[in-house]
Parts: sequence; structure tokens; C-alpha cells
Amino acid sequence: MWAALRSQSCSRFSSSSSSQLLRQWKLGFPSFNHTLSSPPPYSSSSAAMSENLGLLELPEVEKILSDVRADNVKVIPAKKHNDWADFMVIATGRSTWHVKQKQKGAKRLVLPSVEGQEGGKWIVIDSGKVVIHALDEKAREYYNLEDLWTSEPSEKEPIRDLEKALVKIRRKNNSKKPAQKRA
Amino acid sequence: MIQPQTHLNVADNSGARKLMCIRIIGASNRRYAHIGDVIVAVIKEAIPNTPLERSEVIRAVIVRTCKELKRDNGMIIRYDDNAAVVIDQEGNPKGTRIFGAIARELRQLNFTKIVSLAPEVL
Repeated sequence: MWAALRSQSCSRFSSSSSSQLLRQWKLGFPSFNHTLSSPPPYSSSSAAMSENLGLLELPEVEKILSDVRADNVKVIPAKKHNDWADFMVIATGRSTWHVKQKQKGAKRLVLPSVEGQEGGKWIVIDSGKVVIHALDEKAREYYNLEDLWTSEPSEKEPIRDLEKALVKIRRKNNSKKPAQKRA
Repeated sequence: MIQPQTHLNVADNSGARKLMCIRIIGASNRRYAHIGDVIVAVIKEAIPNTPLERSEVIRAVIVRTCKELKRDNGMIIRYDDNAAVVIDQEGNPKGTRIFGAIARELRQLNFTKIVSLAPEVL
């Protein structure tokens, strides 16, 4: 299914964009994001940006995914979870072959970076503001990405680490307090 | 600055707790590894009844280092600990969740999977 995606963005990529823009897109520093996509998702500015850079747009991605009959396509607006991507698209392929059916033009494309082509269990296409995840069924169940992004931003798991960090800070403050009182 | 014999924490729920670096992947005679580098490591401590066991050899990506990470815009990031995420040969993370903050340089280095699992991206 990625052959289709690739050829689409490839044609665009050839028309525009310089290496500098590429680097900025990849690094995605917040300042850069804010200037270009501060209005709410789906606005014309983000669409324009993706066109300038030769990236994939959301409607297009959806269309292509439905064309290749990916199962269970889900689009999650991930704006509130992280600032580096607006949309997460998750799709399931029926087999590893179905997931990774794209080896053909692999070397030609530079722009949307593709990860995990060899395995075919989990392929990520990182196209700036839209990140597409293609998984086989087992992997999808295992990683449970929907839960991660649809649940509340505050999560329970990192608390263990956070507590450790807080303890350290507290200790420092306690040692300082008596000194301040005396002064 | 991770080198062989460095002990690292594990920043995911794969079941390993502590790793020891035994090799840096990428060049034949490289001295130090930094954020985003892949290392070969031994599991020194693991949570009982998990698929990973003590003294198993695995691959891991470094996600946090005490040594500061400099960006082109002058920003400097340094963490309190050295931490890594366990991956397999294909680069898929072994765990399903990742803990703690992670630098966005990992995305640039083609670890988007790890970045997308992370709760916070710096």
C-alpha cells in the first residue's frame, strides 16, 4: 500500500522544496511549528505548508489507504498530546506482505521518511504533520496505539520516574530553607 | 557519553531494569555513544516473569544522557540519568510504552516509533 503513497509524494517532491526546508521539517522545532500552524488543525495554512514541502495531506492519505483496502483506518488528532505532529493515522494490513507492499521504489524517495520496511510488522511514514502507522494485526494489538493517543494526556506510568525527580528537588529545597529563615 | 561498561536505566516497560553497554554500533573504533545511537547491551537487572531475562544480550537506543546535547539554536538539554530503550534487530521497540521525556532528535534519526510512544517530546 505504500507504493501508492510514495509515488504521490514523490511527484510533489520533485516540484519543490530545498534541503533547508527539509531539515526544518525533520527537526520540527516548536518555534517553527507555531509560526506556521498556530491556527487549529485542518486550517488552510497547514495544508498550504504541506503542499509547499511536498508532504502528504490528510485527505489524500485517507483516500490512498482506502484505495489499497487497509483495514480499520483510524485518524487521531494528536495535537494535545504532542506538538510535533497534528494527526496520527493508524491502519492495519492483512499480512506482512500487505503491510509492506512497496519495496519497489524504495530508494528514490527522500521526503516522507519510512521506517521499518524490512520487517513489515510496523511501518511508520513520517510526513511532517501527518504520521502514518501501518501495523499488522498482532502488532496493533500489542502496541495499542489508539489507547495511548486517545486517553487523557496525563498518564499514570511516568509518575514513578517523576516522583524520583521530585524527591531530589525537595531535598535541595529543604536544605536551603533553614538558611533562609536565619537570614 | 556512553561507552562499554556504562550502566544505563531502561526507559520502557520491556521488563529490563538496568543495562550495561558492551558495544557501540556504527563504527569500528568508536569511543562514545550519544542520544540516538544504537548500542549492544547486557541486561543486568530485570523484572521477574517478563520475557527479558538477566544476562541477555540485546540492542538498545540511547534516549537520555547526562552529557548535554547541543542544538544548532543554542539550546542545551541534559538529563539526570543515562537511559535507553530496548529494540529488536528491525528497530521495533520491545516495550509498548516509554517513560520520561525524549529529545526530538530521535525523530530525525529515524526512531519515529519511539518518539510516537513517548509521553513527552522535548
